[in-house]
Formats: sequence, C-alpha cells, structure tokens
Amino acid sequence: MLEVKNLRKEYGGLTAVKGVSFTLQPGDIFGFIGSNGAGKTTTIRMISTLLEPTSGTAVLNGADIRKDPMEVRRMLGYMPDFFGLYDDVKVWEYLDFFAAIYQVPSRERNKVIDNVLELTDLTVKKQAFVQSLSRGMQQRLCLARCLVHDPHLLLLDEPASGLDPRARAELKELIAELGRMGKIVIVSSHILPELADFCNTVGIIERGELLAHGPVDRIVQSMQPNRILKVKFIREAGEAARFLSEMEHVLNAQESGDGELTVDYTGDHEAQADLLSALIGRGFRIVTLREEQADLEDVFLKLTTGAVN
Amino acid sequence: MSRTIWQDLVVENPMLIEIHRFRRRFLTFSAGNSLNSAVLALILVCYAGLVLLVVQAKGDIPPLAVVMIQTGVLTLFAPGMLHGAIAGERERRSWDLLLVAPISKAQIVVGKFIGALAALGVAATFFLLPILISAIAYRRTNWNDLIEGEAVSLTFGAAVCGLTMLFSARVKRPFMALGASLGTLAVLMIVLPSLIGIFGNNSLGSGMVDVFYLHPFIVLTQIMQISEDRGDYSSSYRNHFVSDPSWGWPQAFIYLAFAIILVTWAAKTLIFAENEVKFIPKGNKADA
Repeated sequence: MLEVKNLRKEYGGLTAVKGVSFTLQPGDIFGFIGSNGAGKTTTIRMISTLLEPTSGTAVLNGADIRKDPMEVRRMLGYMPDFFGLYDDVKVWEYLDFFAAIYQVPSRERNKVIDNVLELTDLTVKKQAFVQSLSRGMQQRLCLARCLVHDPHLLLLDEPASGLDPRARAELKELIAELGRMGKIVIVSSHILPELADFCNTVGIIERGELLAHGPVDRIVQSMQPNRILKVKFIREAGEAARFLSEMEHVLNAQESGDGELTVDYTGDHEAQADLLSALIGRGFRIVTLREEQADLEDVFLKLTTGAVN
Repeated sequence: MSRTIWQDLVVENPMLIEIHRFRRRFLTFSAGNSLNSAVLALILVCYAGLVLLVVQAKGDIPPLAVVMIQTGVLTLFAPGMLHGAIAGERERRSWDLLLVAPISKAQIVVGKFIGALAALGVAATFFLLPILISAIAYRRTNWNDLIEGEAVSLTFGAAVCGLTMLFSARVKRPFMALGASLGTLAVLMIVLPSLIGIFGNNSLGSGMVDVFYLHPFIVLTQIMQISEDRGDYSSSYRNHFVSDPSWGWPQAFIYLAFAIILVTWAAKTLIFAENEVKFIPKGNKADA
C-alpha cells in the first residue's frame, strides 16, 4: 500500500507541491493529471526518493521515503520522462546491470531478464545494442528495467510521450497487465482519454494542489451529478421539449438545433426507460436517444484553470 | 577495510560494468563509433612506432625515458576516459536512474574509478613491451629504479583519474570536466613550472627541483639521473644499491593518497537531488 501524506515541496519562495495526500492499494493504476508545471513530476520525484520533501512524507508498505529511502528504492521502479539509456551496452547487459544494482541474485538474473523481455516483447532484441532500438522499443526497455526487481510500486512519468499510436496501445496494454499483476502504478500523462482507458483511480493536480482524486467514475459523477440526455427527433423538437419539461426528473429540456433536444435529467435508468416510452406513446418519432457521458477531459477542463506555478 | 565494504565497493559492485563499457568504448574497433576507432588506430600506429624506435635504438634509450612517455600518455588518457564518468550520466540523464536504485554514492564513484584504473592498467600493460625491450637492451638498467619509476607513473595516473572524477562529479557537462581537468594539469605541470622558472631562478637548479617535488616528470628525471649515476662507475652513487629515498616511493605514496582523497571527495560531494549541480554551490540548497 502507498500512503502519500501531505507531501509538500518548496523552492525558495515557490511552492511546487502543496500538501498532496492520497492512498493507493495493490492493483491500483493511478492516473496523475495536470498541466505542465502543475507539480506531477515533482510529486513523483519525491515519492521516488529523488527529491526530499519540504514537509510531509510517503510510506510504501511500511517504509518511509524520508526515514528509509533505500528500502523504498528496493520496492519501486521509476521510469522518468526521458530514456537515460547507456548507448554502448546491449539490451541484456543493460538489464543485467540494473538487476545487479537491485541485488537480484546472479544465478536468477538470466531468468529474470528473459521474463521481463518477454513481458515487454523485446526477446528478439536481447543481443541488440540499446542505441539500435526504436523509440517505442527503448520505452519498453525502460519499463523492462523498472521490472527487473519485481517492484511493488511503478512510477511512470509521461510514459507515452513521443510514441506512435501502435506503441502507445502496446504500452497501455502492458500497464494494464502490470495492474492485474497487483502492482501499484502511478502514471502521469497529458493524454487524458488514454488514462481513462486503463486507470481505475485518478488525481487532478494544478499549481501543486490536488484538486480531486479517487475512482474515475466517482470523479466524473461528482463533476456531473445529473444525466445529460440527447434525444433526436425526425421533425421539430419544440413540442417534445415542452412535453418533457413537465415530466418528473427533468430539470431542463432545450432544443439544440437540427431536431435535437438536450435534457438535463436526474432519474435513474428505469426512469429513463419510462421517459422514452412516454415520448413514443405521445407519438413523437425518435431517431436516437443517448446519454452524454462526461469524460476525464471534461472533468479536467472543469476543475482546472490552466494556471501554472 | 572490512569484508562487507570490500565486497560492496569492489567484489560485488555492479558499477564494475564500467570496465566492460570502457573496454568497448576505448579499446574496441566499432563501425558505430568511427571517431573512437580512428583515435584507437592512431594510438596503435604510434605504439608500433614507439616499439620500433626502442628496438632500433639498440639500448640507447633508457627504460625510464619510456616510462616518462607512458606517464605523459596516461596523463592525457585518464581525463579523456573519465571526464564523462558522472557528468556524462547527468548529461544523458541516466543519473536519476542510479539515484533511485539501492546503490551508494561510494559504489558509483569507486566502480567508475576502478573501471578507469582497469583501462589505465591495459595501457600500462601495452607499455611493458617497449619498457622491457629497452630495459634488457640498455646496459645500465637498474630494476629497482625502474619499478619505482613505474610506480610513480601508475600512481600519478590514478591521481589524475581521481582529479578528473572529482571534476566530473561537480559539473554538469562532460566537456567542462575535461576542460577543468586538463586545465588544472596544464597549470600544475607546465604553466606554474614555467613561471617559477622565469621569475624564480631562471633555471631548474637544485632548489627548483625541491619546489617541484611532486612533479611526475621531475620525479622521473631524478630517478633516471640517480639510476644513471649509479651505473656510472665514476659516480659517487657507484656503490649504492638503493635509490635516493627522497625520490620515487614517497611520491608514489603521495599520489596514491591524492587519488584516494580525490575519489572520496568526489563521492562525498555528489549532490544527489535536483539533477542540478554547480561547481560552487550556493548557500540555498534549492539552488544546488
């Protein structure tokens, strides 16, 4: 379990992170969302023991980042937003080097290296020089490096930046697999729709302040307590709007042009089915009825102002 | 040194991969690194020329003169190899990956230092051939003096490695470390002796020699002179079978001590956080 407790970082007069707190359980994939300069990387660097917090702390499986950083380092894998690869070594040598650093016993290293290469789909590149790999492969190698010591926590800072769509899709699947393996994964990214695909919890940070955090559905719901229904009619929707305005659970029904109505609705799915029946019963000819889902991007735009430190 | 420290820093230090990397980078021909390959080819040609020259001289070149050439090569070779040891990690941003790993500062610095020493050892091994040819052919070879000279040369090389390591640990860019190391060596070994020579005594008299007690070339010149005098039957040194105690081993031990101090200093002054290290740190830690 990872407990981040009131983590704060100040640089002179600037407060980069203002008391960030959250808790994650094994298997959680936490999407860390924020604009450039919001404080994501600083938070991740503090959790990874690279930066000393001004105050507050984080505890990973009982080990405090301030009191026992070496123990925390043994349990975490950190993938920064740059590769930091040695270009004059082969893929297996690179992994062997980090396996040695993480004190993986030498007799187990070959097996571990083969396993992480297989997981990251780099087995065929085992004997290749690191500099000969494509960007996507280098990114996967970085992830493989993070996994050689079977960490409990993975900190991935902008892991998908600069990758082509195929490499992104592969990386996304890989991260989801790591979550299924019971690891805590913290992923920071600007690409919000991608995060929504595989993160079960998110945190939105702006100017060093964690504005919201928790399960994706809950955050989305908290931002949009009412349902937004879009109903498209064959003809003029004005009469239907008047009819709907008088119905239960309907807060507002407005024409949005082209025979479409936008309905602000508080009812549940059962009530929604009744509403559809009522409309059809009154002879309104409906082409489509869909519920407009707010996504992470909407939530992010609603919560944040775009200001940076 | 306890067994654990010895194991951590030497036997089981994962940073010893540096030996492998140094070998691949500096001692292997590779199509991918044409500059290094060209430099290596040039070095091999020069080396072959040196061996031929020593063979051709048929005993006219004292072996300590070859040790002097070796010292000059090591003095240039060490900063060339080590300037990127830590500054290079910063530049390619692999530094953070080491910092979040459960490895100590001492392991990083000592591992890199041992890697450089191994490369220096290889270079010194290559020099053994011309030194041995010269020693066997030269009629006044004193093996004790030769070993002393070799010790001075190698320990000075180690001290230069320590100096370069310190600069590399304290600056952000490898070329800054290279410039600072070569600049310091140039000042200490060329500029300062020249200035003292000009404004001091106008010549390297006996008093001047004492001023440069730690200058490796003057130390080697002194050892050579003593060795020559010993071989000269008209000399007062004729019956002496040990070197003048002021020259040779004392400097070798001092160089070794310098190397240890500089490497320890490098390890102690590494600033791990922020990825921002300035040579003269400001008072504010956040700026460091």
